[in-house]
This record gives sequence, structure tokens and C-alpha cells, in this order.
Amino acid sequence: MTAERPPFAPGPGARGLLPEGFRDLMPPWAEHEARLTDRLTATFAAHGYERVSPPLVEFEDSLAGAGFAGAPAGRLSAGAAPMFRLLDPASNRMMAVRSDMTLQIARLAATRLADRPRPLRLSYAGHVMRVRGSQLRPQRQFRQAGVELIGAEGREAELEVIALAVEAAETAGLDGLSLDLTMVGFVPALARGLGLDAAAAETLTAALDTKDVGALDGLDETARGLGRGVLEAAGLAEPALARLLALDLPDEAARLARDLADLAGRIAADVPGVALTVDPGETRGFHYKRGAAFSLFAHGVRGALCRGGRYRTGGADAAGTDRGPGGEPAVGFSLYLDTMLQGLAPPAPAETVYVPAGTPRAEAAALRGAGWRTVNGLAKPGDPVEEARRLQCSHVLTDRGPVPVSTAG
Amino acid sequence: MQPDEPLVLALPKGRILKEVMPLIRAAGIDPEPAFDDDDERRLRFATNVPGLHIIRVRAFDVATFVAFGGAHLGVAGNDVLMEFAYDDLYAPLDLDIGHCRLSLAEPDPAGPLGHMVTDAAGDTPHNVGHIRVATKYPNITRAHFARHGIQAECVKLSGAMELAPALGLSRRIVDLVSSGSTLKANHLREVAVIAHVTSRLIVNRAAFKTRPNTVGAWVNRFREVAAHAA
Repeated sequence: MTAERPPFAPGPGARGLLPEGFRDLMPPWAEHEARLTDRLTATFAAHGYERVSPPLVEFEDSLAGAGFAGAPAGRLSAGAAPMFRLLDPASNRMMAVRSDMTLQIARLAATRLADRPRPLRLSYAGHVMRVRGSQLRPQRQFRQAGVELIGAEGREAELEVIALAVEAAETAGLDGLSLDLTMVGFVPALARGLGLDAAAAETLTAALDTKDVGALDGLDETARGLGRGVLEAAGLAEPALARLLALDLPDEAARLARDLADLAGRIAADVPGVALTVDPGETRGFHYKRGAAFSLFAHGVRGALCRGGRYRTGGADAAGTDRGPGGEPAVGFSLYLDTMLQGLAPPAPAETVYVPAGTPRAEAAALRGAGWRTVNGLAKPGDPVEEARRLQCSHVLTDRGPVPVSTAG
Repeated sequence: MQPDEPLVLALPKGRILKEVMPLIRAAGIDPEPAFDDDDERRLRFATNVPGLHIIRVRAFDVATFVAFGGAHLGVAGNDVLMEFAYDDLYAPLDLDIGHCRLSLAEPDPAGPLGHMVTDAAGDTPHNVGHIRVATKYPNITRAHFARHGIQAECVKLSGAMELAPALGLSRRIVDLVSSGSTLKANHLREVAVIAHVTSRLIVNRAAFKTRPNTVGAWVNRFREVAAHAA
């Protein structure tokens, strides 16, 4: 792992190599992913979420900010976000490839759909591109699917969205689901309540995020004690919340802790069949969220397959409040399809029947009508069975109808 | 939840293993006898706890196995954690064993390599723009010098860093130091401590979230054991 080495760049000899983080989805996985997308968006539609499909590329100023730590907490706002950028030769303006779709939905809600009654329920599915992958998830292009419930305050809206995320993952076939809850804003509130300076607050945040007890050593005794308490209050919801509520937290942090306990209690009652954990110290990946936030994990899947939570759609106005244009309370989630595929059984190979050249078209159509996939012979082969085998068909059409190639001739 | 999938605990080979085993045993985990047999070629061992396996790997690899979810729990020094900075590792417990420090060392001016220091008398971290260091920890080393505004060029070695100055690879090394006797034997002296190192219980983040019953219970168990030992 010498980091002296420049990033791997394929030389001219390595034809057909893709850039790091990009990959081809091959049969049968490409179809599997497409079906998964359909199943997810069908679940969203069944709950009254209308599908929108914004473009892959927009002017950078309308996309900047997504997932960028420099954006003010709790707002989708502009900033020098790391995004793929390209110059639009037509307008001479900078464009960017979306790294998240939530911002685009927020733009639609604030502009074209501003007059629609609230709450507004929208769903989406599409590819996003990231400038960098992470160590464990190197993908730089992947598909997301999700919903946004816009213009709704309150716990009921959060419960609807969380229950829908769980239902979507269950319907997709994932098992052993576990839902991890946090309250974005808890850690900053704790740091403020303890009167920590910026550097100490950062130490506390990093230590709690990575559950690194050693990293708390640089803090004063009170902060270290509470930090340790919060760090130990992560895990199965019931015991962890009991530990969290027993801590002597500063006012604002204590309020958020009670809020987290309330949310967990409501979910335990409303969304059965999912293991519930809490992690008040979690801040990762929730850059523009605030308030209730969640991640969904599943058996056999490395890392979170879904993240979501509460945020505000609008940018700040000149005074820095959220009453800027389009500033509405919203809650939503994104499912990561590449991650979900890890936890799903590989698709069964499709049954395909080889239809020798010269077979009437109506006959092949009848087979398709009966659910077969047909592979049309273009030229009369010597032996149709051999040809079916060569083309990797499971069956061959004979006078007796489709016959498995394994038993035919 | 799938109770059938075994939980894997990754332990580092070598020096730390001797210190960590009393804690493992105190937590109620007894590996099968082959674990203590030095001639045993297997790397994965059953324990008296059903569904809990132990693997024995190199210290640096403990972090990698746990970060990628191959193992769910492990024991690793914070030197390894700092070097890799894996996003998906939790280090919720300091086991208070394996104490040493990660230090910068250079030739002892009073020793036979002293001329390397005196010849380059002006070459101090305060007035050079570029420094070459032999180390197993290029990321930590670069970050350490970067904090002082110096770009460090690292020569990555996997061991025997102490040879580097005498053989002209680099004047400085960054390595683990416990008693300092290896440095002394190689005519080097410790000039700065970059980090104090202890062994930590590490946990895969996804395992912590998806198997809160078992993984959480082991973290708590080790917490009790470590508190008792302290």
C-alpha cells in the first residue's frame, strides 16, 4: 500500500479497461437490477408516490451541495461540492453530473411543482455519479431509487417514509433487515452544551462517528465522560436508549435524545419485523439531513443499503434562515441498488427456447405469449439441437413443442 | 437474523497475541487446542463458544479483515487504525495492552552513524522542504510531517526499518518503539513520538448494526473484562 504510486491509470495496452469505480453489468445481473428497480418503484407508486425523472446533468449551481460536508447542516445548499463537471458548449455555462437525486427533486418541488398541494409525494430511480468511491464501496456510478415526502412536518411523515423504506427492501427480497436510527444535530448540540471549541467539537464528532474511544482522550473530563457514555449508548434500541437517557446531557442534547427515544418507540410499534438499533453519535453520510435520520442494513450486505431522514429543501435566504426560496420541511430516502444486489440471490437463468429458422412467426409468438423467451434461428442449421446448445438456449423447439436441450436428440 | 453464520474474531500474530489471550480467555472464549500449537498450519480455529471462530493473521491484516467484514471483531493497535483510516471500523474499547509508541528515529549523533547527522547539520525538520523516511506507516508519516509543513517521501518497508539509515535508504525512520533497545542496537535514537499505541477492540460497522445482539454483547463482555483487568 505505498501511496507514492499514482492512481492506477490503464496504459494504451489495456484496451477495454474501465476507469476505476465504473463497471459493466452483465447478463443476468443487468436484467436483475432493472427488475429490482421496477419492484421498488412499483412499491413507491402503490403508496401514492409519483415518479419523476430529472436529467443526469444540470447547471452546476442547481446541483452543488449534495452530500457535501461544507454545506450548512440541515440545508440543501450550494457549495464547492466534488462533482463531475463539464462545460456546456451551447450556453458556455458549467454543468455537473448529479451525485444525488434529492437536490433535483427539491428543485422540482420548489419550481415546477410549487403550486401542487402539499404534502407532495415524489419517487425516482436513476444513476448518480460520485467523484470518489470509498475504500469499501469503490463504485463511482450506481443506481439509486427513493422517495421524497415534501412539505410535511412531524413524526407521522417520518414514520411513513421509514416504513416505506423497510417495505421496499422487504418486497425486494432482502432479509434480516435492521434499521439504525439517529438524530442529526445531537452531536453538535452536545458539543455546544459542553462549551467545546471548534477543534474539540471536531474531535468529539470524529470519535463518536467511528466509535473510537481512544480519540476522546484529548477532551476534558466532562466531555470525555459524556462522550464515552454516548459511544456506549449505541446498539440495540432498548438498552442503548436506556443508557443514553440515563446520561446527564446538556438541555438541547437531552431533548434530542428524548426525541430519538420517541421515534424508536413509535417505529417499534409501527414497523414490526425489523431489528432496531440506535446510534446517537452517528453523523456520517447525513451531511444535509437534520433531525431524524436512518440507515437500513440487511443480512449478507456490506454497508448501508439505504439512507434517509429529515432535511429542508430550500437554500438559506440572505439572513441565513431557512425561509429562503423553496425552504420546506421534507423527509425521504435513497436505496443503493448495487448494495442491495449483494444481498439478493442471483437470478435463476432464464428459460429460452431456440426456434429454428423457417418456423412460422405465429408459432414463436404463441410461445412468447405462453411465457417463453424465444431465440430466433436466422439460417437453417445442420442440427437445431446443437445450434440451441451453441447459443446457450435451455430448450429447442421440435414437433413435440419445446424440449430441454439436455434431453433432446 | 441468521444465527447460522459464525462470528469471526481476528487476532494479531506475534507479540500482542500473548498479551491478548488472557483477556480472550477471561471473556469466556477458549480456542481449540490446535490454536496454541505453533506447528499448526490452519489459520482458523473453533472455540468453546458455538458460532464463534478465531482467525490468526498479521496485525495489519486484522484491520483489513474486519473493515471488509470478513471478520466481525478483532484486536488491532491504533497505529494500524491510523495508518489505514478505514471508514467502516469502530474501535469502541481500549484494551490497555500492547503499549508502545510510534516514533520518529534518526542516527544517534554519538554513535557510529553520527556523521549522518553531523554531515547534514542543517537538515532539521525546520529548514528542509523535503525529507525521506523509511517506514511501514507511509500515511501516518506523511500526515505527521505535513502538519509541520514538510513533504515527506516515504520508503515503504514491511520490517527491519532500523537497517534503513545504515544502508543509506533514508536518514530517518518511523517505527514502533517499546523499550528502545532495537533502536539502540542499530545506533539510532528516538527524536519524536508520533502516537502512543495500545491495542483496541475493533468492530465491523455493519456487523455492529446488523448483529446488535451478538456483536454488542461481545463488546460489552470485553468492556467488563478490560475494566476488571485494569
